[in-house]
Amino acid sequence: MTYVDKPAIPKVVKFDEPNAKLRNKLDVMLNTGSDIYQGACKKRGSTLKDEYRKVAGVAYMDPKDMAKLGVSNWDHVKVISDWGEVVVNAAHSRDAPHEGTIFIPKGPWANVVVSPETYCCCDPTYKGIMCTVEKSDDDVLLMADLMRAVYKKYVNKDDEEGIKDLATLGEMPVYKKL
Amino acid sequence: MANYEPPVTDYESIVENCTCAFCGCNCDDLDYLIKDGHVVGVRHACRLGASKIMEDMDQRLLVPMIRGEDGELAETDWDSALDKAAELIAGAVRPIFYGWSETSIETMHHGLELGELVGAVLDNQATICHGPSLQAVQNAGYPISTLGEVKNRADMCLYTGSNAMNSHPRHMARYSTFPRGYFRPRGRFDRTVVTLDPKYSDTAKMSDIWVGFEQNGDYEFYNAIRAVLKGKKLQKEFISGIPKEDVEELAEAMKNVQFGALFFGLGLTHTLSKQRNIDIAIQMVADLNSYTKWILMPMRGHFNVNGFNIFMAFETGFPYGVDFARGYQRYMNGETNTIDLLTRKECDVFMVIAADPGAHYPGGAVKHLAEIPVIQVDIHWGPSTEIADVVLPGSFVGVEVGGTSYRMDGVPIWMKKAIDKPETCRDDEWIIKEILERVKKIKAEQGALASK
Repeated sequence: MTYVDKPAIPKVVKFDEPNAKLRNKLDVMLNTGSDIYQGACKKRGSTLKDEYRKVAGVAYMDPKDMAKLGVSNWDHVKVISDWGEVVVNAAHSRDAPHEGTIFIPKGPWANVVVSPETYCCCDPTYKGIMCTVEKSDDDVLLMADLMRAVYKKYVNKDDEEGIKDLATLGEMPVYKKL
Repeated sequence: MANYEPPVTDYESIVENCTCAFCGCNCDDLDYLIKDGHVVGVRHACRLGASKIMEDMDQRLLVPMIRGEDGELAETDWDSALDKAAELIAGAVRPIFYGWSETSIETMHHGLELGELVGAVLDNQATICHGPSLQAVQNAGYPISTLGEVKNRADMCLYTGSNAMNSHPRHMARYSTFPRGYFRPRGRFDRTVVTLDPKYSDTAKMSDIWVGFEQNGDYEFYNAIRAVLKGKKLQKEFISGIPKEDVEELAEAMKNVQFGALFFGLGLTHTLSKQRNIDIAIQMVADLNSYTKWILMPMRGHFNVNGFNIFMAFETGFPYGVDFARGYQRYMNGETNTIDLLTRKECDVFMVIAADPGAHYPGGAVKHLAEIPVIQVDIHWGPSTEIADVVLPGSFVGVEVGGTSYRMDGVPIWMKKAIDKPETCRDDEWIIKEILERVKKIKAEQGALASK
């Protein structure tokens, strides 16, 4: 579908600053919000599919930050904040430069790391979250698997390892038909 | 032109002048191209609107489902699903009915009656997006106009904390920036577009002026503009990272227009100062009005999110987060709002209508949804379905069923029906009415037992 295809992101990962050093961990500020690709995919209803993972399970980063971490487009990074941690794809931001800031479109992946604190103003703090980013070898989970792994509503809550080994729920609705 | 898609020519009929069921722009000039009872093409819509209307049928909810003991959803008949939902709601101590922004006013009408009957909290998506804007409007006033006035008169459009090109793609094209208006015959050339946003967003890229102040710098920046407007001299060299000369220049430019329109988005409500950002923006608009005409408008996200606020304010006096637990309506920010109720683990039954908390709530709030029964009324299988215990498939307002909605400027628009809904689905209005009838029956039985 052309409505959810993303334009090719230029593969700019050059480590050209003479004084910069490769590092394992980067302290950044996280912003979340809507993005046209995430919006189109969500409202079409294609949330179970890989295309939603590609548009919402992604951290848009400044190319310089990516170079510091040594990641290229579609490499996996782990984002850790006070409220949780989640593995997402890294991609070169089209709004760069914004060194020290990453953007994850709103969606189940971003939700794991944003702050539920409303400060009595009803609205959670979705923007300006301090977090760290590091390279990761784990897979970015599909939406259904992510919801199961994070909220554990219908699985044994204490069996962390067992949840990891469960078969994937896939990209199509799973339910018992009459 | 690798991504070029040829126009759709394979269709049977056209339904003209439909209203888009996506964002608060409620564009009412869409043409749907219909084939075999499905919308196969949409004319005039933006990428978002078209993708929503030409939905993904793979994930369309078609049958009512109840989650079994084994943790898997199982198809069931409408009676069992509705009975189960009614039983959960009638037995709840602190239910929340959340959502409503993607359904019709007619559905809300029955929802309000149900909420009053069982003492529920009624809340909508404003609670996670423009809630602070509504608080600020209560604090400082609401200098609004219709979008038609903006189109015909505005010579400066200012977007702040809003990326209209991504979240309201036709807003600039249809209402604010590009259209030719009565007093702006040359369209875009007669207007100045300003974007205030820390991010060099897609909207900023097509503006005449982009002011990229610091993250969380909104409050200080608007205050600086207010100070300049009042004739004060700025003491600091840099205001939120912007040189003071630039602030003065912008204030001067804003003063010297004939009609200015300020549109603000979630960049203001989701950062730390929350409603205070908007308080100060409204006061800045008030100050600007001593020189010239300025208006301000929140960029509402869903097509009927404003409708719920207007409907609730009309019916109960409060726009959102209305708590009926004591039998009469109460509204207290930080107390009767969904996120606070969930993080405090107060809620015991959660019904979501035409919304997706699984996709849009912070994890800290969804964690409580994993501990309580969740009833979902929606059209697509989404993150919320993964944590739902009862699933009731509704119908698509504006495509499969008619209904009233309110545009972001408060103009009510009738959304007409274009195609038939899938046979096994029901209208949202019918579903809520049925649940209401069943809850009434349960309550009457309980009442009869108690009186014996």
